[in-house]
Amino acid sequence: MVGSNRNRGVRRTVRYVLAIALLLVMVYPYLYMVLNSFADWTQIDKQLVPTKYSFKSYEWLFTGGETGITRPWLHAFLNSVIVSLASTVLMMIFGVMVAYALSKLNFFGRNAINNFVLFHMFFPAIILLIPTFLIIQRVGLYDSYFGLILPKAVSLWAIFMYTNFFKAVPTVFIEAARLDGASDLKIMYKIMLPMSKSITTVIFLFLLMERWTELLWDMIAVKSDSMLTLNVLISQMFGPYGSYPGPLYAASALLTLPIIIMFIIFGKKFQEGMQFSLK
Amino acid sequence: MDQRNNKMGWLFTSPYLIYSLIFFFGPLIWSFFLSVTDWNLIAPTFNIIGFENFMDALKSPSVHSAFWVTYKFMLIFVPIVTVLAIAVAVLVHGLPRFKSLFLIGFFLPYLSSGVVSSLIVKGLLSYTSPLNVFLRKIGLDIDWLGTPLSALFIVGLILAWKFTGYYALILTSGLASIDKEVYEAAAIDGVTERQRFWRITLPLLYPSLYTTLILAFGVTFGIFTEVYQLTGGGPNNATNTWQMEIFKQAFTNLQAGYASAVALLASVATFISIFIIRKLLEIWGKRNGWV
Repeated sequence: MVGSNRNRGVRRTVRYVLAIALLLVMVYPYLYMVLNSFADWTQIDKQLVPTKYSFKSYEWLFTGGETGITRPWLHAFLNSVIVSLASTVLMMIFGVMVAYALSKLNFFGRNAINNFVLFHMFFPAIILLIPTFLIIQRVGLYDSYFGLILPKAVSLWAIFMYTNFFKAVPTVFIEAARLDGASDLKIMYKIMLPMSKSITTVIFLFLLMERWTELLWDMIAVKSDSMLTLNVLISQMFGPYGSYPGPLYAASALLTLPIIIMFIIFGKKFQEGMQFSLK
Repeated sequence: MDQRNNKMGWLFTSPYLIYSLIFFFGPLIWSFFLSVTDWNLIAPTFNIIGFENFMDALKSPSVHSAFWVTYKFMLIFVPIVTVLAIAVAVLVHGLPRFKSLFLIGFFLPYLSSGVVSSLIVKGLLSYTSPLNVFLRKIGLDIDWLGTPLSALFIVGLILAWKFTGYYALILTSGLASIDKEVYEAAAIDGVTERQRFWRITLPLLYPSLYTTLILAFGVTFGIFTEVYQLTGGGPNNATNTWQMEIFKQAFTNLQAGYASAVALLASVATFISIFIIRKLLEIWGKRNGWV
C-alpha cells in the first residue's frame, strides 16, 4: 500500500510539472511581448528574456520619437473601446430579444425564423464582405462609427446560445408572471436574464473579445487616421513603422491587457458559465 | 397561439429580420449581380459579362492556391490542435487541485488578436532572434516566412497556439461528464493505462471531440489576419487563403466583380467541404461505435 501511495504521489508531481511546463510554453509569447515592450531598444528581439529595461517604447507611442509623427494610438484605443462596447451591447440586447421570442413566444413563423438563424449562422460570411462594404458606402456610413458598428450589431451565435438556454427556463415562471400582469419586456429583463446570468457573462466576453480583435472589417470600413481602431493601427504600424519594434510591442501590450483584465475580473463567472454552457 | 403572441413574436424578432434584410439578403443578391459584371469598385460604369469572371477564376493559379491552401492548413492545424487540446484536457483533468486556474491559463492565448500574435511570432523569428542565432551557429539559416512549407507551418502553429486552450476547455467538460464507475470497473478488470485511454476515455469523449473538430475545420476556411500580417499570401501563394485572395482582388486590385465571383466559389467550396467533413466524422464515429 505504501508503495502504491508513493507511486501516486510521484505521478501527481509529474502531472503538475508537465502541466506547468506546458503552460509556460503557451503563455511565453505573451511574456515575450510584455518584456520586449519594456526592453531597452538594443535588446529587442535579441534575447528570450531581456536584461536591460526602459520606458522608451511607451514614451515613443506618446511622442512619436525621432520621427516626430505622433501616431494617434490613444485615439485608436478609444475608438476600439467605443466600437467594441457599442457593438457588443447591441449584439447582447438583440440576442436576448430574438432568443426570447424564438424560445418562449409561440407565434406564426417562429420555426421558419429559427431555421433561418441556423442557416445564417453556418453561411460562409466572406461572400457578403464586398457588398456590405458597398452598402455602408452608399448610405454614407463609410468611415464612421456607425459603419463599424451596425454590420456587427447582431450576432447569430448569441441568438443561438440564448435560445438554447431560454428553452431550459420552465414556461411556468413566465405564465405566472403574465398572470401577474408582467409585460414581455419585464419578463425578459426580470426573469430570463437573471436565470441565465452565468451564460450571459460568457457570451458577453466572447463577443467583446471577438469584436475587439476584428481586423478585416475595421480595415475596410474606415479610411481616416482618426477612425482607426487600435488593432488596425498596430497592423498598419507593421509596415512603415516596422523598424520600431519597441513601440509595436508596447501598443500590442496595451491592446491585449484590457481583454485579459476583463477575463480576470469575470474569471469565476466565466468558468461557471463555460461549465454550464458546455453541459 | 393568440394574436398578442404573433404581434410580440414579430416585434421581438424584428431587429434580426431587419438586420438580415440589410446585411444578408441585400449583400447576397448584390454579390450575385456583381459576379457577372466587370465592375472595378470605382468606375461609374460597368458591363455585364456573364460567367467570364467565373471562368477566369477557375483558371487562375492564385484561386487554385486558395483552394488547396485551405486543405494544407487543415492537415497541419487540425491534428496539432486536436492532439494538444486532448493532451491539455487529460493533463489538467487529472490534477487534483488548481484545475480551473490551469484551464484559464491555457485559455489566455485565445484572447490575443491575430495582429498581436503575428507580431510576436515575427519577433521570435527575426534575424537576430535567439532561435535564429542558435540555428546559424549550427549551420542552419532558415528564412522562416520565405519558405512555402515553413510559412504554412508557422501560421498553422499560431492558430494551434490560439485555439488549444479553448478546445481543451470544451474537452474537459466532456471528460468531467464521464462516469467514474466506468473507470473503477475497468480498474478491477486490470486495464492498462493505454487501453484505458483508447478504449474508454476517447470513445466517451467523442461527442465533445466532434464539436472541437468541427470548430477546428471551420477555422481553416476563415484564416486571414495571420496570413495578411506575416506573408501577404506568399511566398509564391503558399499561404494564400480564400479570404486573402478575395481581399487582394477586391481592395488591392479593385476587381469587385471578379472578387465577388471568387467569393461565391469560396462559399461553395466551404459549404461542400464542411458538409463532407461532418458526414465523414459521423461515419467514423458510428463505425467505431462511439455515437
